[in-house]
Amino acid sequence: MLVSGLFVERNGSMSEFVIAVLAIIGTFVIYHFALLIHRTWNYSLTAPVLVATVIIIILLFIFNIPYETYMVGGRWINELLGPAVVALAYPLYKYRETLKKVTIPILAGTFVGGIVGISTGLLLAQWAGFESTIIYSLTPKSVTTPVAMAVTETIGGVIPLAAIFVMIAGIGGVIMHHYVFRLFQIDHYIGRGVGMGSASHAIGTATSMETSQLEGAVSTISMVVSAVLVSMITPGLIHIMM
Amino acid sequence: MVKLGKMIGNIILLYIIFQIGNWVQRIFHLFIPGSVIGMLILFLLLSTKLVRISWIEEGANYIITNLAFFFIPVTVGIIEYYHLFMGKGFLLIVVVLVSTIFVMGGSGYVSQWLIRRKEWKHE
Repeated sequence: MLVSGLFVERNGSMSEFVIAVLAIIGTFVIYHFALLIHRTWNYSLTAPVLVATVIIIILLFIFNIPYETYMVGGRWINELLGPAVVALAYPLYKYRETLKKVTIPILAGTFVGGIVGISTGLLLAQWAGFESTIIYSLTPKSVTTPVAMAVTETIGGVIPLAAIFVMIAGIGGVIMHHYVFRLFQIDHYIGRGVGMGSASHAIGTATSMETSQLEGAVSTISMVVSAVLVSMITPGLIHIMM
Repeated sequence: MVKLGKMIGNIILLYIIFQIGNWVQRIFHLFIPGSVIGMLILFLLLSTKLVRISWIEEGANYIITNLAFFFIPVTVGIIEYYHLFMGKGFLLIVVVLVSTIFVMGGSGYVSQWLIRRKEWKHE
């Protein structure tokens, strides 16, 4: 009994291990396939993160695999998100001399982005007639997930909902950035980097890095400054506007 | 093989710095995520030459060129909430997207305007 119990136990963790390895390798292969598609067609709709996400969602749907099962492996990739953000210090250091000279334009743009993000999010959601808890969850959408969740908690919104809005702002920004930059006639690497970092946090920064490490470094600064700024001014702005 | 070993070593160092960032965040109850604190710590270590660029260069380069990969599991997570955006909830997506356009356009425009003015003055 004990032996067979152990065996089942072991078998269970074995299959868990196999699922994890499959999910990680699968994601890796699909990501590289998405890169290939992006190199061939190069539209904003072929952004690797978007194509890979859609393929995985379709596969999970076809084979009826729950998200938790996928996350047995996915959480290991998630775990590397931390060191990935730490690695952003490298281009920041590499281009520090160039970046030092353009600090003011970067900060000014990011500051405008922070205020525009909170106020338009709030006004549009209010105008569409949503209740205040939803509006509170939506306002910090332009900043990186943990910060948005913390801000939402402080002002009394729904935390998981905040995380979803952050994802929509990130992916939406990646899909729309070509059109937005054309509309606002933004073609300078600083304008592009600040736009991506302010509006679409780390997912936008990832896309900027695909263009150049310098644009990515600008986006990194914007993303970090925006996170600090938004967490400080959101409660006050909400108080004034609602 | 040597290159792969070096890269893994680099990434382990980045992971350790990430954990130090988490630790700093917990001790001082900061609202900034541990990963961002880790990033600032690494920048400081590089600036003071306590960490040499060669200790992290290859791993950091690899991670950064493939940054999008690490977001895939999180973005796939949106499927868990698709029901929220049926019916009127769909408007929330529109609100977030429109606001995102304003943020991206507004912030980028202001930065570019300032930098062009600066570049123009220097000429």
